[in-house]
Amino acid sequence: MTTTNRVPVVQGMFAETPQGPRLLGSKCAACGAPYFPKSPVCHNPECSGQRIEEVQFGPRGKLWSFAVQYYAPPPPVKYDEPFAPFAIGVVDMPEGLRVLGRVAVDDLKKIKIGMDVELVIDHLCSDKDGNEVITWKFRPV
Amino acid sequence: MRDVAVLGVGMHPWGKFEDKSVTQLCREAVQSALKDAGIQWREIQAISAASSRFSGGKGWGLNGNDVIEDMGPTGAPVYNLSAGCAAGGNAFNVGYSLVAGGLYDIVLVVGGEKMPKGFIQMSGVQEETDPEYLRQVCVGMPGPAFWGMLCLRRMADHGTTEEQLARIAVKAHQAAQHNPNARFRQLFTVEDVLKSRVVSWPLRLYEICPVSDGAAAAVLCSAEVARKHTTDPVWVASSTVATAKFNDGIPRGLATVVPTGHTEHSEATTAVKKAFEQAGLGPRDVSLIELQDNTVYYELAFPEEWGFCEPGESEKMVERGDTVPTGKLPINPSGGFLCFGEATTAMGVWQVCEITGQLRGQAGARQVPDAKVGLGQTLGLGSNATAVILKR
Repeated sequence: MTTTNRVPVVQGMFAETPQGPRLLGSKCAACGAPYFPKSPVCHNPECSGQRIEEVQFGPRGKLWSFAVQYYAPPPPVKYDEPFAPFAIGVVDMPEGLRVLGRVAVDDLKKIKIGMDVELVIDHLCSDKDGNEVITWKFRPV
Repeated sequence: MRDVAVLGVGMHPWGKFEDKSVTQLCREAVQSALKDAGIQWREIQAISAASSRFSGGKGWGLNGNDVIEDMGPTGAPVYNLSAGCAAGGNAFNVGYSLVAGGLYDIVLVVGGEKMPKGFIQMSGVQEETDPEYLRQVCVGMPGPAFWGMLCLRRMADHGTTEEQLARIAVKAHQAAQHNPNARFRQLFTVEDVLKSRVVSWPLRLYEICPVSDGAAAAVLCSAEVARKHTTDPVWVASSTVATAKFNDGIPRGLATVVPTGHTEHSEATTAVKKAFEQAGLGPRDVSLIELQDNTVYYELAFPEEWGFCEPGESEKMVERGDTVPTGKLPINPSGGFLCFGEATTAMGVWQVCEITGQLRGQAGARQVPDAKVGLGQTLGLGSNATAVILKR
């Protein structure tokens, strides 16, 4: 028996912390603008702040909108064969971040705009070496 | 700044042309524009071309160089412009600026494309520092899902119905049936559209533009040159380019900041409002709009973001039939991207061809009565947008 390795889809984007899953981002110390992924500088043209702090976002948010993908998308989008429809959400987090993430839900019809969601680290696909590729998603609370 | 006229326009019909190269499509468009303008190729003093990522251009987006080599190397300068799907609009803006600024008297603007099959492919860049790559590998949001997400939010905000979305597609095909250059000219009913398969909920196949091959060209010139050829030219009232603002609320990568105000397509709004300002015109002066309808949603979002109606009123315009060619505010009387299919970088030039035809009264059964002022607009990856206002 081999054990399945859990591999993040991209390193350094998210983490399982003792407090639960978090997105790894940054924030401008001057204007408070949140960035995900981390940004070494502030992009707000109205701000001349020079200091960026590393921050963790999560776990709560509200679903601003979503779409359900009903056809197999072209590369580099990752999914398991055979393709099954999945939902992509746009979530407003209390830290002022509007962020994309798949919606982790069994019944795609139950997704509603405005619903409360929480961050989870979940299966994205299996790679050719048998590793489980994981990413962040949002699950209805 | 000098006045600039559109002296001639030409296009290759939109479709799939397996046996023609993009340079060949461009040649046919350019030849037809030269004929329309009544000038020879050697009179072109500069070329402003849209750079393609998909075809020709020696793999470097040098499509303007392909055109000049093919048409005959005259030594004229070539500007190759890259701006995603807004590239045609950017090329037009540079061509316009070269004539308006007095650098050249006769400039050719051209855009051509042969697209790979299926929906528009992703960036191709596989680097974790590329926001578009990250967005696709970590989450996966192809174009139709991005549009679907925006559309669903509008449905929640304004109660837009699936029937209203379908009706916009029906209207597009009613106009396109009369346009010989359009690729999809069959008529649909609302039921037909609603029966087409869901691509990215809430958007269906007939509500999303596919990709096509096509090419378009326009000859721009100074007023002095224009008067030698015609007594009643089409004028460029303004041409603008813009990019998005920091906090407009639309996530173009993986995330953005939650906006303080209403979410909007700030790149397009800025380009259009600047175009009005520079032309000294407003929404009330506009006889027709050719806007970038990658999906029916944009025909609802854009008019109100540009000040043509109040938020939530666009659906009523559709219901009332205001947006058909003979309505109060005709939108995409060409049939739009929906019926042409997107030949990405050619679209900004194609809009100029369509609007010019309308302003000359040459649009046949899809003619907007007494068309005096036409607005064109494009939107491209990287948060690029362009606007152009042509007038009679």
